[in-house]
Amino acid sequence: MRTKLSDCLQAVNDVLLGKDQQVRLALTCVLAKGHLLIEDLPGMGKTTLSHALAKVLGLGFQRIQFTSDLLPGDILGTSVFDKNSGQFVFHPGPIFSELVLADEINRATPKSQSALLEAMEEGQVTIEGATRPLPDPFFVIATQNPISSGGTFILPDSQLDRFLMRLSLGYPAKAAERALLLGESRRDILPRMSTVLDREALSLLQDQVAHVRVSDALVDYVLRLVEATRTQPQFALGLSPRASLALLGASRAWALLEGRDYVIPEDVQAVLPAVVAHRLRERTDQGAGNGSGALVRWLLTEVPAI
Amino acid sequence: MSKKPAMEQAIPRASLTWLLVAQFLVILPHLGHLPLWISALWIACAYWRIQVYRMRARFPSALVKAALMVGTIAGVYLSRGGLVGLDAAVVLLVAAFILKLVEVRTRRDALVLIYLGFFTVLTRYLFDSEILTAAFSLLPVAGLLSALVGLQHSGVVVRPWSTLKLAMTLMLQAVPLMLVLFLFFPRLGPLWSLPQPSERGVTGLSDSMAPGEIAELSRSGGLAFRASFDDPVPARNQLYWRALTFDRFDGRRWTQTPQGFAAASPDWQAVGDPVRYSVIMERSAKPWLFALDVAQSDDDAIRRKSDFRLERTRPVERTFFYRATSWIDARLEPESPSAAVRRALQLPATGEPRARGWAQELRRQYSDDRALAEAVLRQFREQPYVYTLRPPTLEGDAIDAFLFDTRRGFCEHYAGAMTFVLRAANIPARVVTGYQGGELNTAGNYLQVRQFDAHAWVEYWIEGAGWVRADPTFQVAPDRIERGLEEAVSGEQSFLEGDPFSPLRYRHLGWINTLRLQWDELNYGWQRWVLDYQAEQQGSFLQRIMGHSDKTTLIGIVLLGGLVVLGALAIWIIKPWRRRLAPLDRAFSQFERLLQKEGVQRLPAEGPRTYAARAAQALPAAANEIRGFSRAYEQQCYETDDAHTQPLSDALRALRRSLGKGATR
Repeated sequence: MRTKLSDCLQAVNDVLLGKDQQVRLALTCVLAKGHLLIEDLPGMGKTTLSHALAKVLGLGFQRIQFTSDLLPGDILGTSVFDKNSGQFVFHPGPIFSELVLADEINRATPKSQSALLEAMEEGQVTIEGATRPLPDPFFVIATQNPISSGGTFILPDSQLDRFLMRLSLGYPAKAAERALLLGESRRDILPRMSTVLDREALSLLQDQVAHVRVSDALVDYVLRLVEATRTQPQFALGLSPRASLALLGASRAWALLEGRDYVIPEDVQAVLPAVVAHRLRERTDQGAGNGSGALVRWLLTEVPAI
Repeated sequence: MSKKPAMEQAIPRASLTWLLVAQFLVILPHLGHLPLWISALWIACAYWRIQVYRMRARFPSALVKAALMVGTIAGVYLSRGGLVGLDAAVVLLVAAFILKLVEVRTRRDALVLIYLGFFTVLTRYLFDSEILTAAFSLLPVAGLLSALVGLQHSGVVVRPWSTLKLAMTLMLQAVPLMLVLFLFFPRLGPLWSLPQPSERGVTGLSDSMAPGEIAELSRSGGLAFRASFDDPVPARNQLYWRALTFDRFDGRRWTQTPQGFAAASPDWQAVGDPVRYSVIMERSAKPWLFALDVAQSDDDAIRRKSDFRLERTRPVERTFFYRATSWIDARLEPESPSAAVRRALQLPATGEPRARGWAQELRRQYSDDRALAEAVLRQFREQPYVYTLRPPTLEGDAIDAFLFDTRRGFCEHYAGAMTFVLRAANIPARVVTGYQGGELNTAGNYLQVRQFDAHAWVEYWIEGAGWVRADPTFQVAPDRIERGLEEAVSGEQSFLEGDPFSPLRYRHLGWINTLRLQWDELNYGWQRWVLDYQAEQQGSFLQRIMGHSDKTTLIGIVLLGGLVVLGALAIWIIKPWRRRLAPLDRAFSQFERLLQKEGVQRLPAEGPRTYAARAAQALPAAANEIRGFSRAYEQQCYETDDAHTQPLSDALRALRRSLGKGATR
């Protein structure tokens, strides 16, 4: 099973060059049953990552391009009258797939945003009175462009909190970019990728994550981190219990990915920036959670690990 | 290069505000005995520090700091004439407290300043410990506490009032602990004697007497002592508080013959019922005490001298409490003439011819000593003598001039002249100084005796009767004895004329007088129940509430009980049973220390694995052992449920061996 995980990583890394850490975190996010928010400029490989993940994990993939005129129905699906049967027939929207890529999520109106975010939270959608379960596993990768913010609706803190992790891919290293330029087109590679894990294997792995051992000493470390965000003056708001649960869950998944069945402080530190950066805000920063990098660095250098 | 975390650096605004306020409050009560330039220094330093906070000024450079320090020390030296002694030391302390302000950069500096402030507050009690001083010191303590609380706040705007509120809450919470400590903390004697503030400014009787000196003293309304009687207070004309006797006269000044400490105790006969009372004496910087004749005290440090006065082995440098028993009608040295009696006949060889002539004349008229003394008193009563606080200055034969020309004088003139005449008539006599009367505080049923109650009278010796008290002032101004000095000199408006704001001057205004007496009673209670709650009172208090006999065991029990309670509290707070991982931590810190010696220091947030990897890279010779320990630690700390330290100690031993080998190689 472990080898399969590293095979997964290898396969995705073959497509998305030089983003080892981000790929690993993305897979961690899947294993921890969390959703992923990728913040980056266009063309950095967000879609490629999502595609590759879907392919490797054998998940059905749908992409929703968020625009300002997107309606909740466009995401969730609508009932259409069927002349032949004389009844309304529900046409499921793109959300009914196992891996959903919500591109440029901040371009849509808050109403449409919250349709997606509610579905993420509940694992089911209610349309016209009927509750319909979403597939299991269900994994959302949302992207947003933090730079060109004209005509966008910034996600509020409460909705940011629903994402287990926030990543940014960043420019590739020179060697990786050279390989990219010289190599085959990504668009050609993707359809050829083979599935490494099937659905059952994935849910088995997700169950295993819950059994990764967490010792008292490690919980103490997590508590120290959370406590620091709540008491230190530079933090505008402390981490919620949901955040500390997320941190522990992600650390477990990371430990599993590392091939261990127990968590060590280094696991927590590895996932910490991705898990908490979008939930923290500096007291002096009135914006939407940007510039929290210094806070995360502070947590990583000042809170005693032992 | 030590990199301090950002939060260590700046001092929050709330803290700085309170620091400045507290500093002002700390210095304020000291102002009375500080040179004026210290205040200027404080204002300058405070302004400088505020400008630094507003980024309009810089911190002083090392050179400026050194110059300031040298300048201040020189200033203290010049204005106090030295750097040794309590007074100069306190000035120096306050100056250091002020100067430290301008170099307060980090929280650590601020902490130093705050602790210095607490200490400076304490030094105020070396000068006086009145209830007002004590109450006032709560203000600077509150300010300093607020600064301390503010130091823990963030640099972002925090309203100073919330800080003060928290500090006040802390102080209130400390009250029960304070009471418990006050009641039960054992009073240990001082381990060393404290140098006392100089005698300057202490008014009181001096060890000699010249005309005009007691009149000078009577301008002061300062408190000399308070006395409370177990039984009803004796009649006013019985209240002669003996302090000193003078048996040597050099023509102008009365002094006492120096006597050895072990001078023979004089004999006396108790007559009548004893009077029991306790006295709380203000600081006098002199060893003698005040008591009615003939007094006796149980205190080992108090002894009766050959002239029946009480004296303490050390000067009274702080408010002093003692109990005494007196026999007012006792006969003093009634039998054989002692050395004291023989000394009481000394006179200068020449001078005062008219007084001597009058004495010879009286001697011829009266063969009986007592009748002669009565005749002298009659002379004062019948001739137009005046009792005044403004006696004329007399030159040359002062007694002659007073007796026969000016006839205006204060008690020391009358006492001195009468003693002289009696001695000239060959009757042993001496001048006694002390206090007469006192004001009865009816609210508290105790007597307050003030400096203007200072008095001088005469004692002469008669075979069989001993020393007999005679008060010539009573003949001239009976009001002085019956009703006090204010009544006696009411005609000339000279009572406390140098002190127009003394509440004592307004005694005839009923409400002011009531207020004054109540305030005095409060002070008396403070003295009696707070300041004088020393070892002995504590012991008897414990005896009363616990009904046990031995004081030392009692204090031991209380101490032990306190320790047990504190220990239980500590255990409850620390909860040692919860620290299951402590042995692992200990092993890890040993591991850290080992690597630290090799120059690999763990960063505060570094996990064990990262640290081990870094150390292994830095110390390739011991890389395996380092990794081995790290693996073992990880296993015990994070992997298994029941932790064992054995693998850790094994790994440590291996590491130690490996490192030791590396060192010898």
